[in-house]
Amino acid sequence: MSVNRLLRVGTVAVASLGVLALSACGSDPEPSGSSSPEGSSSTGADCPQGTLNAEGSSAQKNAIEEVIAKYNEKCADVTVNYNPTGSGAGIKQFNAAQVDFAGSDSALKTEAADGDSEAATAAKRCENNAALNLPMVIGPVAIAYNVDGLDKLVLDGATAAKIFQGTVKTWNAPEIAKLNPGVTLPSAPISVFFRSDESGTTENFTKYLAASGGGAWTGKPAKKWTGTGAGKEKSAGVAEGVKSTKNSITYVEWSYAVDNKLGVAQIDNGSGTPVELTAESAGKALAAAKVTGTGNDLSMSLDYATKEAGAYPIILVTYEIACSKGLPAEKTALVKSFLSYFASTDGQASLTELNYAPLPDEIRTKVDAAIQSIS
Amino acid sequence: MSVLAANKPAYDGQTLDLSGKSGARAFKNTLATVLIVLAFAVALIPLLWILWTVISKGYSLLFDANWWSQSQRGVTVRREGGGAYHAVMGTLIMGLITAAIAVPIAILGAIYLVEYGKGTKAARAVSFMVDILTGVPSIVAALFVYAVWITVFGFNRVGFAVSLSLVLLMLPVVLRSTEEMLKLVPDELREASYALGVPKWKTILKVVVPTAFGGIVTGVMLGLARVMGETAPLLILVGYSKNINLNPFDGFMGALPTMINQDRTELALEPAADRVWAAALTLILLVLALNLLARLVARFSAIKSK
Repeated sequence: MSVNRLLRVGTVAVASLGVLALSACGSDPEPSGSSSPEGSSSTGADCPQGTLNAEGSSAQKNAIEEVIAKYNEKCADVTVNYNPTGSGAGIKQFNAAQVDFAGSDSALKTEAADGDSEAATAAKRCENNAALNLPMVIGPVAIAYNVDGLDKLVLDGATAAKIFQGTVKTWNAPEIAKLNPGVTLPSAPISVFFRSDESGTTENFTKYLAASGGGAWTGKPAKKWTGTGAGKEKSAGVAEGVKSTKNSITYVEWSYAVDNKLGVAQIDNGSGTPVELTAESAGKALAAAKVTGTGNDLSMSLDYATKEAGAYPIILVTYEIACSKGLPAEKTALVKSFLSYFASTDGQASLTELNYAPLPDEIRTKVDAAIQSIS
Repeated sequence: MSVLAANKPAYDGQTLDLSGKSGARAFKNTLATVLIVLAFAVALIPLLWILWTVISKGYSLLFDANWWSQSQRGVTVRREGGGAYHAVMGTLIMGLITAAIAVPIAILGAIYLVEYGKGTKAARAVSFMVDILTGVPSIVAALFVYAVWITVFGFNRVGFAVSLSLVLLMLPVVLRSTEEMLKLVPDELREASYALGVPKWKTILKVVVPTAFGGIVTGVMLGLARVMGETAPLLILVGYSKNINLNPFDGFMGALPTMINQDRTELALEPAADRVWAAALTLILLVLALNLLARLVARFSAIKSK
């Protein structure tokens, strides 16, 4: 029995030693940038200390992760957590005071659905101060396709609407052929993939189809897909679907189209020349948008039917939703510090290589002013 | 002699009749054997397939020392580097807290059921409730704790809340296995102890529990292994953090299942895909280590009959 007990104690000791050994040497990785010697600046006025928790839109996941990494090179003592659980979940958690700011693909709704409106509940959470909608990340939505030998494809709003509605069924349909003169199109049927989950991307894409489809799109713009095709979950799902299926097409965030090496359609917005999707052409579309919010609330109304030359019309704006007042002082300092960096030229510049578009300067300065007004 | 010789062929014939198989029976036997082996192989295919996929895609990062000692702070899906330290520690911390709460309740409950409450109404009620609790899906346990912890009490989402919901899942597993182990202890041992004038509580403490110790520990380890891979409570009750957070009462906390979930949408990117598979393999290894530990403890603590 005593031998048994010895062995028993021994096993437990070895197990707990293992845990201790593991816990003794944990650390954060060294920042990959060369700016670590400037760590002394982390105690400056711009860099408070603490932890910031945020949640929301998955469309900005890659953007905000990159910005957090860059921000930590500057302010090493701030920890920022972002959970990409979706716009709706982000707003709910923000209103329940579980997170310090939220990311959402649409501004807080002001009309009441059941009980209070989103904006009213958010104001309550901010101790009866308004919550701000701060446009921060522009994610262009690509019409991505997979057709052998088709390097360049031009579509316009009406044709895209017909394809996704299911009225144009084959790749060599006259509508597509007219926009792509001199290109051999296969006679194969078009397989459409859509997002089976409720998504801000679907909402923005259907807004575009409704605005510039010339009546070809019969559904109402919504987070839930009403067109034709086969459903796949999340951006990764539709991108993977198009990648593995010949003669297929979908709508997906630009970065997914690039990462999966899919063809991206150029859009003829009616200006005469087809517009290729670039950070610049997407930024141009946002510059054409109007700010509909008042004061420091910067909710925007996008013009999906814009005919401006060189503007790529299908874009998705992710807002950061933050309290204008009412958070504890140390949280306010953290939110201000992080969002200021996000809206700075440095922060926005790092997004371009991830296939997001930087905020146009005119809007960026407005966003920055709004962030500085947070107290 | 002649009688024996005359009897022998008849005897042999009988043996042949008994041991030999007719064609139909031999066929049935072979068929059953083949079917059983086939069923075994079919059951094995997904297991081996999963193991092969996870190991072949995830092993490379595990040999990197950083994997075991660093967090994912500042590492985006496009960059290599960083490790799973934050997630391993989160999983271990939440698992240990769960065990610390669930194990005493479960063992004491089992002792009550077997030693004190046998046949009483109360014991039947407890037994019934435990059966129901066994069937509660993890998402329901998580939502229940969300309702109590966050909606009613107004606390924040933290690692401890996850542990609370895991307790609901671990408790019935450990209680049932402990109960079965205690039932296996022969009554003669108890009677012998009583005959020597040992009080009941001392009998339980010094005779019954030590006899069943190996089985109880195995049950605890298996229960722990089961809850460590749970994902639903993590998604609902705590946010994922790429940073090291060892405090279960404050802030978001990383864990291996949520680490897998975080980057699973980015499988087109190599660094992210590598990390997802490596995290999956780490989780499997962690659970495997617990199972092995359970086997070891059970072997070394078995009572030897002399």
